[in-house]
Amino acid sequence: MENNEFLRVVDLHKSFNKLEVLKGINTSFSRNEVVSVIGPSGGGKSTFLRCLNLLEVPTSGQIIFDGVDICDKKQNINLHRQKIGMVFQQFNLFNNMNVMKNLTDAPVRIKKMPKEEACEKALALLNKVGLADRADAYPYQLSGGQKQRIAIVRSLMMEPEVMLFDEPTSALDPEMIGEVLEVMKQLADEGMTMIVVTHEMRFAREVSSRTMFLAGGHIEEDKPSHELFANPESPRLQEFLAKVL
Amino acid sequence: MSNFFSDIGMLFSRYNSFFLEGIRNTIIIALFAVLIGTVFGVLMAMMRMSKIWPLKAIATVYIEFIRGTPLMVQLMFIFYGLPMLGITFPEVSFIPNFSRFAAGIVAMSINSCAYVAEVIRSGIQAVDGGQMEAARSIGYSHTQAMLYVVLPQAIRNILPALGNEFITVIKESSIVSVIGIADLMFRTNDVIAVTYRTLPSLAIAAVIYFCMTFAGSRLIAFTERKMSHGKQ
Ligand SMILES: Nc1ncnc2c1ncn2[C@@H]1O[C@H](COP(=O)(O)OP(=O)(O)OP(=O)(O)O)[C@@H](O)[C@H]1O
Ligand SMILES: [Mg+2]
Repeated sequence: MENNEFLRVVDLHKSFNKLEVLKGINTSFSRNEVVSVIGPSGGGKSTFLRCLNLLEVPTSGQIIFDGVDICDKKQNINLHRQKIGMVFQQFNLFNNMNVMKNLTDAPVRIKKMPKEEACEKALALLNKVGLADRADAYPYQLSGGQKQRIAIVRSLMMEPEVMLFDEPTSALDPEMIGEVLEVMKQLADEGMTMIVVTHEMRFAREVSSRTMFLAGGHIEEDKPSHELFANPESPRLQEFLAKVL
Repeated sequence: MSNFFSDIGMLFSRYNSFFLEGIRNTIIIALFAVLIGTVFGVLMAMMRMSKIWPLKAIATVYIEFIRGTPLMVQLMFIFYGLPMLGITFPEVSFIPNFSRFAAGIVAMSINSCAYVAEVIRSGIQAVDGGQMEAARSIGYSHTQAMLYVVLPQAIRNILPALGNEFITVIKESSIVSVIGIADLMFRTNDVIAVTYRTLPSLAIAAVIYFCMTFAGSRLIAFTERKMSHGKQ
């Protein structure tokens, strides 16, 4: 387990002006692990996730990724971000590009992958998520579920070492949630390291190996998922689970 | 009333060279003002959105000040005020009235620059912030994300607004007649002075201005339709 650990968070603090949102987070993630992050609204889940790829700059603390502290100003964050995929609640596909371009632009432009290779790779991945026929569509022509599956593929194109998901199904109509969760489950089965902020308790319990309860800027509880759901210890978690289950 | 229309016919056939010269100069001034205004407007917009606070401060003060004072005052300041401070525009032998033109174009450009900067800034800020974040999250640098993701979307907001700015400048450029530039308004006044036919002359000027701006707005509508392809 120890040498498998490749992402470690040390005493992470984040404040917006006077508001302290993260009050000292300590945790670590190992390869192939699927971790769910649950907790009440405003508890800092998104902020925590966004700190991991420095979309939010932590106020203090360290984020050790592949042995280096990426908060260090001397680090080229653009390089690290290529290895940390992120999937947003609002999909955020590039509206000015069709699906194929959405998928291939970054690998070709940033990683200098040959164009043909990128297209082949994109098609293979699109096939996997059942959207090979939508390669020429623009984002506005797609349903929410399709957009999110493509957003996941866009991250995968960069061959990330870890994928961050921020409530990937929260903006979806109920009938589309399943198709996105299915893709995520498939990814988990293939051994992708995933950190998933979610309100889908079934996903947390059944797919993720570990679940973390984040409330009030602290990790209140962090255990194997089945244990956390079977024996919640902190009263706050018990109260939270009583409300959402 | 029939007098009015026959006057218009007479004025236009006899003095069309006046009006044509006026049209030409109005278009020259407006075109240069918008071109120069756009180049510096882009720069000013970048400064205003910059994280380097002195640049941001300069741009903000410039934009707010120019937009908060009348074009007439700015024009007078450039044309009468600068020479008093010892700054003059040179004469160029092969272009008659060059210094006047230069003052007019400079004043209009300075003014247009501030409005263009705002057009560009709001065009960029109208693009959903999630687009930039998504691009940064997969490893684009800020500049790459700007160039390949945000700006192509912002252009759709910016181009039509720039077209409107050009139309505004065509109308507002009539003000340069007060410093003796022979634009459409100036030449219309000439015709009035010679013929005493005030109303018909002004009617001709109004119709010409309208034709120019209407052609402009049709062109904008056309490009807007062309660009709506691929939009959400
Ligand atoms: N950019 C920001 N500027 C100021 N305050 C912010 C910013 N982003 C988040 N916050 C505040 O930080 C707190 C935590 O927000 P965060 O989005 O991390 O919560 P969350 O756990 O993801 O909630 P939700 O379940 O509603 O998504 C909230 O009080 C929020 O208002
Ligand atoms: Mg959130």
